[in-house]
Parts: sequence; C-alpha cells; structure tokens
Amino acid sequence: MESAGSEKRLQTLFRELKLADERVAPDFIGVWNRVQTSPSPRGFRISLAVATALTVITLSSLVLWWKNWQPAQRSNQAVVSGPATPDAMPAPGLATPDHAVPVHSKSNRRNVKLVARRHPALNTTNVAIGEDVSISNWQSPTARLLQSPADHVLTSLPQLDRSLINLKTFLPDTPQ
Amino acid sequence: MDIQELQAELEKLHGASFGWALSCCRRDRAEAEEVLQTVYLKILEGKARYRGESQLKTWLFAVIRKTAITEQRKRLLRILKLTAASNPAPEQDSFAGEPAATFERSEAQKQFQLALRTLPARQREVLHLVFYEDLSLREAADVMGISIGSVRQHYERGKKHLRESLNREELDYGISWQRKETPDAVS
Repeated sequence: MESAGSEKRLQTLFRELKLADERVAPDFIGVWNRVQTSPSPRGFRISLAVATALTVITLSSLVLWWKNWQPAQRSNQAVVSGPATPDAMPAPGLATPDHAVPVHSKSNRRNVKLVARRHPALNTTNVAIGEDVSISNWQSPTARLLQSPADHVLTSLPQLDRSLINLKTFLPDTPQ
Repeated sequence: MDIQELQAELEKLHGASFGWALSCCRRDRAEAEEVLQTVYLKILEGKARYRGESQLKTWLFAVIRKTAITEQRKRLLRILKLTAASNPAPEQDSFAGEPAATFERSEAQKQFQLALRTLPARQREVLHLVFYEDLSLREAADVMGISIGSVRQHYERGKKHLRESLNREELDYGISWQRKETPDAVS
C-alpha cells in the first residue's frame, strides 16, 4: 500500500517535471533548420581533406615538372647548337675528345645565372647569347669516326709541275 | 523511411527527446540542446540510421544517450586540458531567469531534482525512461543497451533510493521548518 502510494507520488513528480521541460523545450523547426543550414563538421572535415590533398598533389606535380623541365631545357640547348657552320668545324686532325670544348663551362653558367638573377629583364637576351656561344663551340660527337690516316690526301691537292714519281709516291697503292 | 517522414516523426517526439536529453545531460539545458542538435545532424548525415529493428522512440533515445555520453566525455577532456590547474567553474542553474524557473524553484520539485541527482546514472536513467517517458522495462533495456534483468535491478534500487532520499529531505525540511517556527521545541 505504502509502496503503491510512493510510486504514485514519483509518477506525479515526474509528470510535473515533464510539463516543466515541455515549456522550456526549444522549437523543433528552429533546431531542425539550424541543423540543416549549419555546415556539418564532417562535411567540413572532408572538404578540408580534399583541399589539402589537391594542394599537395598540385605542389608535388609542380616540383616534379620543374625538375624535369630543367634538364630538358639543357638538352634542348645542346640540340639547338647542332646545326654547326662548316667554318666553325675544327680541323679534323684536332678533333679529338681531349680537345673537346664543353658546351657550357661551370663558371660560364654561373655567370649567366647571376646576371639573370640580377637583371630578370635581360633573361631572353642572355639565353640567346648562351645559345650563340654553344653553337660556336659545338663539335660533332661523331667527328672521331671520320678520322683516318689518309686525311691529308683528301684535304690537300698535289702541286702542279710535280713529276710522276712524286705522284706515285704520293699514291703508293695505285697499280703501275 | 524518407527524410520527410522521419522529420515528421522526430517532430512528434521532440518534446520527449528534449526531456531525455536533459536527463542525460544532468539537467543542463544548453548541453541538452547541443546534444539534440548533434543527434539531428547525425540523422541528416546518415551517421545514425533507423533500420526499423526497434521502435523509433527507443532507437532515437539510444542515439541521444550515446551522443550525450560522447559529448560529456569530450567536454570533460576539454575541461581537464584547459583547467588542469584552476578550479572548475561552479555549476550554473540553466533555468534561472526563465518562466519555468518559478516551477523549478517550488520546494517539492527542488527536492525531487536534488534527490534525482544523488542517484547513480543508470538508476536515474531507468526511472526517467519508465516514469517520465512511459517506456516499459524492455524498452528501457533497449535504449540503455543492457539486459532486462539489469534494468529491473536498477529500477528497484533507484526507486528505493529516491524514496529514501525524498523522505530524508522532507524530514530535514520539516525539522528546519519547525526550528524556524518554534526554535525552543527542537533543542
């Protein structure tokens, strides 16, 4: 009996509490709209992660491209210096790798870089100058293959008024 | 269940959900609102999905309870990190200055709420679900994620504790009231 009475009392107290809570409960539509309009932390986290990933990918590809571009540019400069004028061709006798002039000496390159850094406006001019220098110093990588012991026969002419004997000595393998 | 239907159902349960959130947040109104908002967000994002395995009300209450516990843990960690050396802020009465405050301050309710606060969390939750939300013990077990046997135990113990503390407080109140009225009679 006492237990039932106390249970009823608890029920009453809880009911009163419920009524009081209902009075102070926030409006559902308000809460729902706030939830719908507010940017979700999850969505924000995802977009932040996507943005970070995109930035990292862009930066790394830029770095890779820059690294690849520099050697390519160097080799292009070497290729551009290809069409050498016959005047610039060194004498075949001297065309040995030991005497080969480097396309760009280190100090040269450093100087060009320094100047380019100081005067960015002169960059294009400097590139042109650099190309001219490389063209004038160009040597064919196959020049060595063209050498032979009888090069002087090909590059010189027998003098006029020479005797036949001299000619014969000049051309030892010709049938007599 | 599509989102429109779900919204309509949630609207029906909003009052009860708020009451349950209040109970889970130890009657802190701001915290309860935040928890409820987080729950709705979870539902909208599909992080909490109703699969129709139980009643919508029990499912929703379980989500609210879980969210409240998580939020409470986060808040505790934040407080521990920020104010490790300083004293914790005194507990504020979130109902102060509101129309309901009049009711809250009524002596019986005040004592009842004080008595509720002294109860262990599980007992308080079971009593709330049964008396406030009119759920059965089975449904309360579903919400709390424990067995019906445990719920029954918490329910009986909770009722006993609540009754005892209410009686004690009434007795104290009676003595103090008598002291005020006839100071010589008590001493």
